[in-house]
Amino acid sequence: MIAPFGYLTLALAFLLAVYGLGAVIWGIYQRSVPWIESARLALVLIFPLVTVSLVAITVLLLDHRFDVAYVYSVINRGMPAYLRFTALWGGQSGSLLFWTWLMAAFAMIFALKNWRDSFDLLPWSLAAIFLLVGFFLLLNVFIENPFERFWLLPDGSRILSVFQPRGAFPLMPQDGMGLNPLLRHPGMIWHPPTLYIGFVGFLIPFALAISSLATGKKDNRWIEIARPYVLVSWVFLSLGLVLGMRWAYDILGWGGYWGWDPVEVVALMPWLSATAYLHTALLQKRNGSFKRWNLSLSILTFVLVILGTFLTRAGILASIHAFADSDIGVPKFVITAIITLGSLGLLIYRWPELGDEQELEFRLSREVFTIFSNLVLLSILAVCFLGVFYPIISELLTDTLITVGPAWYKQILGPLFTLLMLLLGVCPLIAWSLTRVSILKQKLQIVLPLSLLPPIFAWLLGGVSNLFVLFTFWLVSFSGLVIMREYTRSVGKAWNRSPGRVGQALWSPIQRNRRRFGGLIVHLGIVLMSIGIIGIEGLQQQTQVTLAIGESVSIGGYEFTFTGLDNYNTADGRNVTESVLTITQNGRPLGALYPQRDFYPAMGMAITQPGLQSNLGRDLYAILIDWRPVTQDEATFRVYINPLVNWLWIGTGVLVLGSIMAVWPERVKARQGVTGYLVEN
Amino acid sequence: MAGSKSNRLKFFIGGGLFLIAVILMIISATRATAEFFMTVRELKETDRDLAGQNLRISGAVIGESIHYDPETGYLRFVIAHIPGDDAEIRRSGGLNAVLHQAVNDPDNLRLVVLYDGPAPDMLLDEAQAILTGQLDEDGEFLASELLLKCPSKYEEALPDQVVD
Repeated sequence: MIAPFGYLTLALAFLLAVYGLGAVIWGIYQRSVPWIESARLALVLIFPLVTVSLVAITVLLLDHRFDVAYVYSVINRGMPAYLRFTALWGGQSGSLLFWTWLMAAFAMIFALKNWRDSFDLLPWSLAAIFLLVGFFLLLNVFIENPFERFWLLPDGSRILSVFQPRGAFPLMPQDGMGLNPLLRHPGMIWHPPTLYIGFVGFLIPFALAISSLATGKKDNRWIEIARPYVLVSWVFLSLGLVLGMRWAYDILGWGGYWGWDPVEVVALMPWLSATAYLHTALLQKRNGSFKRWNLSLSILTFVLVILGTFLTRAGILASIHAFADSDIGVPKFVITAIITLGSLGLLIYRWPELGDEQELEFRLSREVFTIFSNLVLLSILAVCFLGVFYPIISELLTDTLITVGPAWYKQILGPLFTLLMLLLGVCPLIAWSLTRVSILKQKLQIVLPLSLLPPIFAWLLGGVSNLFVLFTFWLVSFSGLVIMREYTRSVGKAWNRSPGRVGQALWSPIQRNRRRFGGLIVHLGIVLMSIGIIGIEGLQQQTQVTLAIGESVSIGGYEFTFTGLDNYNTADGRNVTESVLTITQNGRPLGALYPQRDFYPAMGMAITQPGLQSNLGRDLYAILIDWRPVTQDEATFRVYINPLVNWLWIGTGVLVLGSIMAVWPERVKARQGVTGYLVEN
Repeated sequence: MAGSKSNRLKFFIGGGLFLIAVILMIISATRATAEFFMTVRELKETDRDLAGQNLRISGAVIGESIHYDPETGYLRFVIAHIPGDDAEIRRSGGLNAVLHQAVNDPDNLRLVVLYDGPAPDMLLDEAQAILTGQLDEDGEFLASELLLKCPSKYEEALPDQVVD
């Protein structure tokens, strides 16, 4: 009974969405508050209904109900409960339902929390939200239905249906297919939901931008209301991307931590446009400029999200992340086209009214630097877009299919990301409106010489001779020091106000201006992440070697000795081959690495688990490639030294912390003149 | 107004110069690294000189050919021709059917692949491999990058084992 029940609540939610869309449009047309209020309540109700559906499919998964086709396709009896739970987003229809559920959650929060302060923006926002939520419910109800079950008809044929067809017998397989072994990893718990929250949250800023356009508003209120949604989505998207990197890093064959796989690129695109938006939204709040730009970016971000799900889920991109071919391609294409063309039409219609209140002057100011950083971010976005669509474009234009890969991205984006880092470093030194060069020089007096120390140390003591690596080292230390300078100056001022109170001096600047310091801490997080990326991209060492028992290999000052190989079966049905590499550095023992290969006989597939030992300076990382099966006295390894890579994960933590600080509701209304985190003090 | 115009001009010149630089970088990167996407048949039948050209090849992995040579450190396997056109794949009954057919047809065109690196976990019989690399003098393909699409036996199949 659970499957039909879950399906019925889902169908009911879909009907409510259809009703809501009709009611809100009728309400706008009739200027009728009760109709709009009725639509709002319908939106609030959709979430609990979809929740019931989601609980239903979860129960079916946990209960091994293999008569349900989705359950059969993603789990089997050997899987532990936590993986059976994550199987919720392990296949097409389940993950789509999960996506719809998150969307309904954001919609409900918006409908409950923001209707008072956005009553004039509410009707059109609701219309946009209903359109999207309704669309995803439609996919779940009619095309990718997770509640379909297997039935045996009297004539011996087998069919899929939610409800029992006349005369049919239920089919209950003894075991399921099981989740793809590559997905059986703790990363499966965190990476997909985090990323999904990031994607889905941009629905609200999109709806607000549409509403602001439709109602012809020229003020900044939609930006203020959208701010927490943008920031929360942005931080979840950032975290989701990095969790994916970590997962890739932990599992071989996924290409290091970032492989410029088309789906990765597609997921990065909305992050880039949202990041650009976060910065120009500040300009609009300061002096009423960039209205068209911000509306366009907010819309673009969500369009890129929908485009991404279309490309990934319709089997269009050849990628490790791609879902199996599905019938949702056409409807997804249609909705992408509708929201793109609809928003474009609205933008063009309102374009003449949305001019800048104050013209920006081209001079040494934070405004101009912000625009420049936007230009760089959007260029990166354009390059990503071009890379993903290059095969299609080239085939249309020249009749030969040309593709681009990681080398192409790295060659173009390396300099652009470096430039972005330079801007991130310099920006806090540039004042709003105008900065005189003499003041800038004065600000650089201490920071510049100090920033030269880390690259000099790396060169003299670390033996790093690659000029580009040394330059990027300088860049990150410079950016980091500028941020520290901003903080210490504020601490100094607080100290002067109330001398002797150390704790207050350290904390009060942050507390007084959370948006500004939140932003600076996010930037600091990005600086730390860059250290990790420079380490693995610029300083990685690797070797591949075949060793007999007792033999060793030296790399990067470490010695790895092959001391043993073991083969055993586990309770969950894996056959594990585990090797031991003991590590010494200058004769000093440093423990061991245990690279292994897990064979899943049921799937005929093996998963490589690297051996890993990490600290702040470096990761020692080894992969077991091959071994002599019977005597077990010889094996082939690939050993990597990945310097500084841990800073990538640490920086992400700092970034999240800064975002939380920036988005935390402020108890006191912001002081006059404080419009954002980048305000000069 | 004149001042405003020249101000705007400065923005356009500054932005324009930057965009030109980006476009030049794209052109040079494309010249250096772009890959021709070909099927095994196109590769075998082309008149073009492909020496030194970056290529991207799609094919079906023949499971029994996968072989790791500890001496050279090379992974060696054979792929069989599959059509590159999505519509054609669909007409032939979908990707799984095409992969299965390609591997089991002895007359199908085949290509030897060498890869300097550990075998990816998804390198399985009847997987779709998308390889990036170059042809060597012997007509074998030196892959620098391997992308694999799992034979999706996890999807859509109706179950056989049934409890009454």
